[in-house]
Amino acid sequence: MTEKMLTKDNPYFIDFPKRIKAIQKAMAQHGIDVYLGSRLRTMSWTLDAFCPWRSYIVIPPEGLPTAITFVIDAARVADDSWLDQDHILGYGPMGGQDQVSLLAGLIKPYLKAGRGVIGMETGMGTYLPEGHLTLFEFVMLKAAMPKASFKNAHDIIDELSMIKDQGTINRFKEASRIVDIGHRAVLDAIKEGGYRGMTETEIGGLAAHAMRKAGSEWEWSFTGGNEIASGYRTGLAAGACTPASRRKLKTGEPLMVDLHAMFRLGLGDHSHNYFLGKATRRQLWHAKNFVDLIKLCLKTYKPGISPTKLADQMLAFTEERGFQDYMVPGFEHGIGLMGDEWRIGMNDGPFEYWTNPDHVYRKNEMLICAVQYACPEENIGFRYENPILITANGCEAMSKFPLSIDVV
Amino acid sequence: MSTKKFKYLSKEWAAEVEKRCKAKLSPEKMKHITSSMSTIYTNCPDGKTRAVFYKLTDGVVETVSIVEGTLPKAEFSITADYDLFAKISRAELKARSALMSGKMSLKGNLVKALTLSPTVDRLNEIIATVPTEY
Repeated sequence: MTEKMLTKDNPYFIDFPKRIKAIQKAMAQHGIDVYLGSRLRTMSWTLDAFCPWRSYIVIPPEGLPTAITFVIDAARVADDSWLDQDHILGYGPMGGQDQVSLLAGLIKPYLKAGRGVIGMETGMGTYLPEGHLTLFEFVMLKAAMPKASFKNAHDIIDELSMIKDQGTINRFKEASRIVDIGHRAVLDAIKEGGYRGMTETEIGGLAAHAMRKAGSEWEWSFTGGNEIASGYRTGLAAGACTPASRRKLKTGEPLMVDLHAMFRLGLGDHSHNYFLGKATRRQLWHAKNFVDLIKLCLKTYKPGISPTKLADQMLAFTEERGFQDYMVPGFEHGIGLMGDEWRIGMNDGPFEYWTNPDHVYRKNEMLICAVQYACPEENIGFRYENPILITANGCEAMSKFPLSIDVV
Repeated sequence: MSTKKFKYLSKEWAAEVEKRCKAKLSPEKMKHITSSMSTIYTNCPDGKTRAVFYKLTDGVVETVSIVEGTLPKAEFSITADYDLFAKISRAELKARSALMSGKMSLKGNLVKALTLSPTVDRLNEIIATVPTEY
């Protein structure tokens, strides 16, 4: 059943027609006649629908956009989206219905005698499902519209999507509430020796079950859904990506539980850490370092601070406490509606398509406070992730599961 | 016994198709659809391009007409060579196979077109029964 018609009084309401108008206004300012979006984040931000298959949106200078996706999913996307089925079309391997023919057919009416500027989304990313226009797509589209010129224009949507509206914030809060339910289910399952005989995949699955029951659409991360690591896998050198394995949980080892839930394209992402059964003094020393660092980190995020300034403060603390060798030196990654992950802010840093270390955070930006502690020589590591909202004077952590590293 | 043959894409042929469709295709069989479709024949034997325009209202085949020049507005248009359409009309080739081969081009909403394709197949089955001189 479709839930597309959210009214303005609904906490999760987002004004998508307003977003389209804002894009069209920016297109006019940038001299773009028609915008061709292809990134997953663009699809989510404009359609309010999850597009797991290669999809595109054609935004005209005025009026409604039209999206195309793989025909097997077009009716479902139309059912989820605020746009109707006449504006969500399917492509398939049929004459006139392939991606290039459809896109050219949608774009050409906005070119004058075949000439004009087509905004496109290209670049590179660490995130595999980013969805930049491929070279092949570009070559084929250029051949279909040889007199048109193409201009990389993703900055338009990156800029417009940076400051989050209330509907987006509320969706993230709900996704985080669901993640907390997943964490509670994990804790209930592993406490008092319940972890014995369990595997990492089982932990991931029982969390998923609890979160789905609470309304999560999926464990959205491309890193294997819920990331679970135990023992030496928690402390892989410079690591912060642990798809669950079939490894059995063992007494005396750390367990890292990194859960992901999605609610209306808003993303929950919270990691919690444990010791199974018992912990040595040395292990508890590592744990205290980590928890104290997270507390300081959450106190430090506020408008005006940048990734570099924050990292300087955090790394100074790690040096003071003598655990700098165990820190992966990064404290954040970007986040937005599904598909918007990793880079923070605009593509304006010293390295193309990486976070600008001097990006200055503003009120109502969101990011994942992400901290990884890794001590491979002692087979121990911890991860903290939590979506945070930059507020007027600080930040709000959206996942409320208590911060601690408990012996269970 | 001689059977009268209709010249393919002639007005008489179109009238016969319409007559047979009305007689054989009930609104239930045609799923009560309301739609329109132009099949555009390129490279006809006389070198011209012409189209057959079909209009269905609530499952009733209202119109089958031959058009040269400006086409009436249709929800779907399918373009291919005369020879390819002739093969489909003789039931030697399925329309779906022709579309998948890329030799035939469809304009219109693919999701809707796929939903309607069984009813279009029924239409083609009727066309195949018309004694035709190609």
